[in-house]
Amino acid sequence: MASVVIAVSTKMLSHNRMRFVMTVTGIAIAFFLAAAQIGLLVGWVNTNSAIINNAGVDIWVMAKETRTIDYGTAIPRQRIQQVRSVEGVSWAEGMLVGWINWQHPEGKNITVEVIGLDTSNAGGPWKLIEGNLESMHLPKTVIVDELSKNALGVSQIGDSAEMQGKRATIGGFSQEVRTFTAAPFIFTSIKNALEYVPYYRDDEISYVLARIKPNTDILAVRDRVADEVSNVEVLTTAEFAVRSVKYWMLETGVGITVIITAVLGLLVGAVIMSQTLFAITQDHIGNYATLLALGFHQKTLRQIVLAQSITLGGLGIIVGLILFFLACNASARSPIPLETTTTVTTGLVAFSLLCCIASSWFSIRAIFKLDPVSVFHG
Amino acid sequence: MKSILTCQGITKNYGAGDIIEKVLKPVDLEFFEGQASVLIGPSGSGKTTLLSILGCLLAPSEGQLLIAEQGVNFSDKSSLTEVRRQKLGFIFQHAQLLPFLTIEENLAIVGRNAGLDETDIKQRLDNLLQRLELRAMRYKHPNQLSGGQRQRVAIARALLHRPSIVLADEPTAALDWQTGKTVVELLLEQARLEKAVLVVVTHDTRMLPLFDRILSIADGLLSEQQQTATTDNTFYTQS
Ligand SMILES: Nc1ncnc2c1ncn2[C@@H]1O[C@H](COP(=O)(O)OP(=O)(O)OP(=O)(O)O)[C@@H](O)[C@H]1O
Ligand SMILES: [Mg+2]
Repeated sequence: MASVVIAVSTKMLSHNRMRFVMTVTGIAIAFFLAAAQIGLLVGWVNTNSAIINNAGVDIWVMAKETRTIDYGTAIPRQRIQQVRSVEGVSWAEGMLVGWINWQHPEGKNITVEVIGLDTSNAGGPWKLIEGNLESMHLPKTVIVDELSKNALGVSQIGDSAEMQGKRATIGGFSQEVRTFTAAPFIFTSIKNALEYVPYYRDDEISYVLARIKPNTDILAVRDRVADEVSNVEVLTTAEFAVRSVKYWMLETGVGITVIITAVLGLLVGAVIMSQTLFAITQDHIGNYATLLALGFHQKTLRQIVLAQSITLGGLGIIVGLILFFLACNASARSPIPLETTTTVTTGLVAFSLLCCIASSWFSIRAIFKLDPVSVFHG
Repeated sequence: MKSILTCQGITKNYGAGDIIEKVLKPVDLEFFEGQASVLIGPSGSGKTTLLSILGCLLAPSEGQLLIAEQGVNFSDKSSLTEVRRQKLGFIFQHAQLLPFLTIEENLAIVGRNAGLDETDIKQRLDNLLQRLELRAMRYKHPNQLSGGQRQRVAIARALLHRPSIVLADEPTAALDWQTGKTVVELLLEQARLEKAVLVVVTHDTRMLPLFDRILSIADGLLSEQQQTATTDNTFYTQS
């Protein structure tokens, strides 16, 4: 019977090339739309937690009830020493986050997020395209991302502007270090940052970043730090990333919008895919009725419809996936990148295939609901 | 003569309660091997309904249908399909060939579905295409054929798997008289060759002399007319 299934399902599709191409295109576009929305969400989540995940540290020590890395508040600088002395900690440095004004050379004021870094620059930009990371330790020198050139009104190394009433000169440009708030990141040394951010005292920072010794249990070290250092909260990098993402995603309107758009994208994609496949079967409903009358078993028709759904769905998904990867590549340097992970991609493909199979199930039901006598009426 | 198809007290009602429509009053009929019958009657008299029951496509309200002396179980869809797959051949008003398959493929899938082996299918195909003068059409698609040619393919398709019963509902309604007559003659000739029971519904009373038996249905009541003669052409009246 396999030969009948293959002959009927492939010939039905290949007979009308135009229809075939349109269907595969439709499914590809539907898949791409859904994938793009999910990709935006993933990109957004990655952006949310990029500083944390790229810092290359294991443990974050912060003031209690810090909801996201962006809203860190002051803790005493001596906490760095205290963390260093905890058993299992191999390294610790500080980091400072503050929100202040940047005066665009054309006059308008914008808000920026200053990130002050310690000697080894942990928590700083991970990809530099121009200049030197160490330049931020020079007085009044900062590093910004190439994506915020326009917003800040700077275009090359040596350009300067007023930050919180004080001069700030560009020492370099990073790449793909995005912010999803409207405020660009300004990277500089903790020492410089303290000059600019008015509400921090000279002996204050926002975070202590720590690395653990090899072969130690990260959770145990985390708990020891929490025990031995007073008035702080201690999180692993993964925990802090989740907390920051959760904050932006669930506690602010922005995140909810991104999630809703992603869910809608997925639903719309699913509906278009199912509808496209359903339409193919509907087009041939008379032929299916004929086959049923001629003594083809329901099982055979089921296999024909399923084979078509998987062929069309599979091809559409492959084309859609190629489009999606191209879009991910093309958007990599834009402020709103499409990103994905193996799990997300696998999930998307599985979900889409499931939609195709589900739609074939509906199509088949429509066939079996036919009045068999209808074959006599043409 | 071998009894192939038997109706025992078959009735069909549509609707329920007060608005019940009795389309078929009890039908008792027996068809024997190689017998060709024509079924006539006014529009709405129940011809298609009866043919659908004979074709195991529609369950009767009462009564029994026997095929090769075996009762048909109308409550089991899959066994109905099985009967159609092995024992029945159909010809519809519009040939209803699959438009995306060539003539050869249209025939071959029926053979495969019936479980014939490939060499048998090939022989049957060659043989039927030759007998129905369709050899040149073998690799064409249905839309490249005339209405008459398509009906000839439908005949080949109905016979390919050697069914013991062939049912046709107004197979010539879409054809002109000459073409229609040729198609029916071919159908009769081929069905007789295959020793199949043939039941043909038609509105065209000019066809009647060609058949062995004439069944007439009016108001759901089936009666058999005397077939007067093979040479008698007095049936040239319009229905
Ligand atoms: N599914 C149905 N539900 C209800 N009534 C039906 C159904 N199918 C047929 N009928 C009724 O049964 C009667 C017989 O219909 P049938 O199709 O058997 O007639 P017919 O003799 O084939 O007519 P025609 O020559 O026009 O094809 C008609 O009155 C029709 O309205
Ligand atoms: Mg009818």
